[in-house]
Amino acid sequence: MKIAAVEAWVEAPLKRFVDDARARLALLLHPSGQVLAQAGFTRAVDVMTACALAAAAHATAGELGRQLDGRGFRGLHYAGLEKQLYLAAIDTARGVYICLTVFDQASSLGLVRMYFDDLSRELTAAAPPLIALREPALGADFERDLDANLSALFGRAS
Amino acid sequence: MTPFTPILETLTRQRGVRASLIVSESDGLVVDAHLRFGQDGERVAALAASLYRKARLSAGAARLGTVVFLQLDAERGRICAAGSSVVGHSHEGRTDLVIVVVADPAANVGLIRMELLKALESLA
Repeated sequence: MKIAAVEAWVEAPLKRFVDDARARLALLLHPSGQVLAQAGFTRAVDVMTACALAAAAHATAGELGRQLDGRGFRGLHYAGLEKQLYLAAIDTARGVYICLTVFDQASSLGLVRMYFDDLSRELTAAAPPLIALREPALGADFERDLDANLSALFGRAS
Repeated sequence: MTPFTPILETLTRQRGVRASLIVSESDGLVVDAHLRFGQDGERVAALAASLYRKARLSAGAARLGTVVFLQLDAERGRICAAGSSVVGHSHEGRTDLVIVVVADPAANVGLIRMELLKALESLA
């Protein structure tokens, strides 16, 4: 499966995760919706859409968790007829990232969660420290950063 | 205490048994478990369910019929598993439950197998 990452330290752990968990698609993104790495997507527009929806679902689950349980839910699982998704956050020295994993009957929720724990540990260990504070997620340059990341993943945004 | 607790306690009482679990084959999650110290139940459940599912599909594809008992021997332990679907049993409508036992390499597989198959009967 083709894997592309905006930042190199993400690529090897994500590839291992996708191979081990037998995921069909995987997406690593910032909670603002900016993509960091992707596996299995063939079109930039699909990545852009999935990022926006995953970020929204994560924000919704987080807020629901805070309302119900006093803190945000960390993991979210949806089961469809053939495909399932698992959405969960990873804390690193560079901040929080969201990982969207799509899998089918070749895998299971148990396997995905197990290898996701490994991915979290590997990314936490591999993350270089953040030198400068990240700019506001919805700043004026959000669109420019989004296009730059998609170009890095697909050659050019389409 | 769940309906599975007596079954799991009986299995874990066997000499050399480190853990016994009831796992959902389709999603690889623990339904109930009786673990000795140091056993990672979620990891064992996910891997054993995947293993059992593959064995069941392989046996079906090879026209060998249903998998009655699965045994994996490794250097530092063994995993034994049996599924409720193979004997046509279901627990409250569920037919995808797998009973998994993690044991020492020196554990008596014959006894474990007998207890596992008895445990399947109790699941019905």
